[in-house]
Amino acid sequence: MRACGSVVVPLPPILYGEVTPMSTDGPYPPSAPEPDPGAPAPYGQPAPYGQPGPAQPPAYQQPGAYPGGYPAQPVYGAPAGPPPDNFLVWAILSTVLCCLPLGIVSIVYAAQVNDKWLRGDVAGATESARKAKQFAIWSAGVQAVVLVLIGIFYVGIFALALGTASTAP
Amino acid sequence: MTSAVRRLAGPAAAAALAAAVVGYVGAVDPNQAGHYPTCPFLFVTGFYCPGCGSLRAIHAMAHLDLLTAVDRNPLTVAAVPLLLWTWLRWTRRAARGRARTWAAPPWAVWSLLGVILGFWLLRNLPGLEWLAP
Repeated sequence: MRACGSVVVPLPPILYGEVTPMSTDGPYPPSAPEPDPGAPAPYGQPAPYGQPGPAQPPAYQQPGAYPGGYPAQPVYGAPAGPPPDNFLVWAILSTVLCCLPLGIVSIVYAAQVNDKWLRGDVAGATESARKAKQFAIWSAGVQAVVLVLIGIFYVGIFALALGTASTAP
Repeated sequence: MTSAVRRLAGPAAAAALAAAVVGYVGAVDPNQAGHYPTCPFLFVTGFYCPGCGSLRAIHAMAHLDLLTAVDRNPLTVAAVPLLLWTWLRWTRRAARGRARTWAAPPWAVWSLLGVILGFWLLRNLPGLEWLAP
């Protein structure tokens, strides 16, 4: 535990002063704590990894000194650049004006766009945006078909009424 | 100058379309049968959809009758300030020639979906007829 503090907190000046006299095999501090039995425990803890994130590479100078210690590029926030259009307005319009489950599916995909984008999943966000657009279009298409069917229905009733009227005595 | 005009074509077209729709629905009364087709969902299932009553709500709002509008469809009335705000941001962005860098927080979009689905269910329940159009 105390080794953790002496490794992480004091940067090169103290480490160099302590390490160089007893081990001459390497000029870099990481070579000294490695064989130390107290060292593995602090390395396993997440705390030293999370906090000095940006400060660690300059302290150890070499990226290769830590094989597999760090994931390459963890993405936490939204990527740079404009987010993809989530077609939310069209999704809602197609739900409200077309009243179809396809519009709801479109809203779900539209919500996924921002969700994935803000988590850094660019490809997923683009794919969800494509689907949101697709389902809004299908919703509008089915709506058009249903309206035509309703029109035919009314025309049919009208024709039926005319027919019965004409055949009535 | 011309590029700014071209950039503002989208917001201008949206505003013109909205004005045309409000003008038409305000003039042609949806309360009278035969002016507009029935909602297909209502026609097929006999249940109200979340959009049912929105034409009558727009008609009432065009005549500045806000209470009747809320009575027909509260979500339509609630959508107006949201749409205005979005349109203003869009216009400002277009005027400055900037791409959109802001994405709505996912929880907001998910809760919007929840509100729509909940409204859909509730307005069809007995005892909650005041939510129905």
